Amino acid sequence: MPPTPTGIAAEAPIALPDRSGALRPPGSTPLTPGLFKELVLHLVKREIDTNHRMTVLGWAWPLTRQLVQLGVLVFIFGSVLDLGIENFAVFVFSGLLAWNWFSTGVGEATGSLLAHRHLLYQPRLPPAVIPSVSVIVPFVDVLMALPVLVILLQLEAGIPATIVFIPVLVVVQLVLMAGIAWLTAAASVFLRDVPNIVGVGLNVLFYLTPVFYGLKVIPDQYAGLLKLNPLATIVSSYRAILLGEQLPGTFAIVYCLAVAAALAVLGYLLFVRLQNRFVDNL
Amino acid sequence: MTVLAARFEEVWKSYPRWLSGRRSLRSMASPKMRATGRRQGTRWALQDVSFEIERGQAFALLGENGAGKSTLLRLSSGLGSLTKGRIFVSSDVASVLSLGATLSSELTGRENALTATLLAGVRMRDAPAVVEAALRFAELEEFADSPVRSYSDGMRLRLSFGVVAQLEPGLLLLDEVIAVGDLRFREKCMTRIEELRERGTSLLFASHDLDQVAEVCDRALWLQEGRIRAHGEAEQVVEEYREAMQAETFARTPAPEQDAEGVLKLRENRFGTQELTIEEVVVEGSKAGVAEPDGPLSVNLRLCRAGDPIARPIIGVTIYRVDGDVACCEANTESDEVSLGEVAGEVVVSFNWDRVQLLPGEYVIDVGVYEHEWQFAYDYHWHVYPLKVLGHQGTLRAIFEPDRRRWSVQRS
Repeated sequence: MPPTPTGIAAEAPIALPDRSGALRPPGSTPLTPGLFKELVLHLVKREIDTNHRMTVLGWAWPLTRQLVQLGVLVFIFGSVLDLGIENFAVFVFSGLLAWNWFSTGVGEATGSLLAHRHLLYQPRLPPAVIPSVSVIVPFVDVLMALPVLVILLQLEAGIPATIVFIPVLVVVQLVLMAGIAWLTAAASVFLRDVPNIVGVGLNVLFYLTPVFYGLKVIPDQYAGLLKLNPLATIVSSYRAILLGEQLPGTFAIVYCLAVAAALAVLGYLLFVRLQNRFVDNL
Repeated sequence: MTVLAARFEEVWKSYPRWLSGRRSLRSMASPKMRATGRRQGTRWALQDVSFEIERGQAFALLGENGAGKSTLLRLSSGLGSLTKGRIFVSSDVASVLSLGATLSSELTGRENALTATLLAGVRMRDAPAVVEAALRFAELEEFADSPVRSYSDGMRLRLSFGVVAQLEPGLLLLDEVIAVGDLRFREKCMTRIEELRERGTSLLFASHDLDQVAEVCDRALWLQEGRIRAHGEAEQVVEEYREAMQAETFARTPAPEQDAEGVLKLRENRFGTQELTIEEVVVEGSKAGVAEPDGPLSVNLRLCRAGDPIARPIIGVTIYRVDGDVACCEANTESDEVSLGEVAGEVVVSFNWDRVQLLPGEYVIDVGVYEHEWQFAYDYHWHVYPLKVLGHQGTLRAIFEPDRRRWSVQRS
């Protein structure tokens, strides 16, 4: 790729990067890796900016929301109906952060192609980027809430050395979310009920994920059911790392990794296969 | 060997035809509704379209709405998939297609311009300068930080074109959107396009402005119902298109009634579908049908439409000199940027000059009201309304009397 001029004269046109003018099928000119990275960063940034535009609290809103949720859950299940869980604030908050990232990310990504149809009209942008951005954006809320989690941890249980394994889990969760997001986003274009179905599904999943309860309190006949939910395994693993609780069984972990990987591969392949038909079906 | 900017090989494109609305679960589940969600055959938007654009050429797409022009432009820029055939375009292609479809209405003009700039392939370190230049070109600096949802159609177009105008594409794809800009901005765009063309940019654009096509373009393709109707030198295709429009108007003119009275006779001096009619024409100069050479003139048309409103018809007035049947003056509401909006019931339209500036003699006026894309005439009165310009004709055989003329004689 020839270098683009750095100093652009006021009104002189700037040459497009691929100046060869070679004939190609339309939309098949790939973005260079550098440009691709800049573009994804730009899209994430502008998405975050729009989320917080026109609000007084701005950036503090996602954190406020999570803290209020935390307060309610701690009050109900820590004081009113005491579940008898140690370090309940950290316990709930770690589950809540993972859950909120998952539900916001998957929820937003499902409708992302419809909401960002203007990006689908940009032939150079690989459409798979659009739901991926929706999955990444709510992770910023997690990062914002992280200092609070660390403080709670310090107050209640102390910070364990195992905390360095958290990024591994984050990657597993990201892969799982991306796989689901590609599937649901692509399906939404062809069947407009999908965002509603996903909404209902997320409501149910909230109770099937140990956010405010622990796996310990689940009767044995239902414990197997919960293990089928890969997110339950991920949430329990976060807690195992942060609070020194018992890790989920080997089977659950292997199963969770397999589901995440399978969904990601399947979701991506299906998405790419369908992407040529998005514009005609919007 | 000629270098190509684009090649279209037997391009076919079909869209599924659905009986109604969106597909949803409900439509698939209930037996009564099942038919709704089912494909009802296919609609061919393009059929067997093959042509080539040489590098440096300006290529026009002609045809009425739904003829496949926009589909062809969208496919050329990589939107949607072909049913059959192949398209190749220059790797450095840029496009301005449907209005605002590439803009997010929640984001500001500047943010949208930045996204578009990056997507055009400009690196982040250069992008801000391009964005500023685009906003300057679009004359939107004042509104750069307002959300695009507050923009008018014209402003959206200016923003989209502004970004493309900063680039130097090998092939530029333009849909008719450019027509929504005001006259001054449209000229600015055309000037920019000319500059780009001088630097080697090829152009593929859809237009209804036949004069512009004939003037700007080298080649033209006329699409009709998705098929190629004509392909060749721009002027020649435009000529064929014009003739077909006249034939269309004639074919749509209803047969005259047996006992028709008055001067106007269908298929003789009155043509058009008669869906919208010119009921009365009053030519008024110093008095009815008479004007002074330096006096005012007005042509008043009373239009009548029974039934649903007709959107944005165009009115044209042409003055011919009887002697030699020369067209002396032609004006229409479209090129003068006047919109009639929705027409229903009775509407009176007046066309006025302050000074006639025609030499004394006998003239005749044609009036017409046309479909908003000039596809055919609703009503056209040919050589019906006389105009006499007063004064002594003398030995002058010309038609035009220039304003503020002077003679000067110099002797050495």
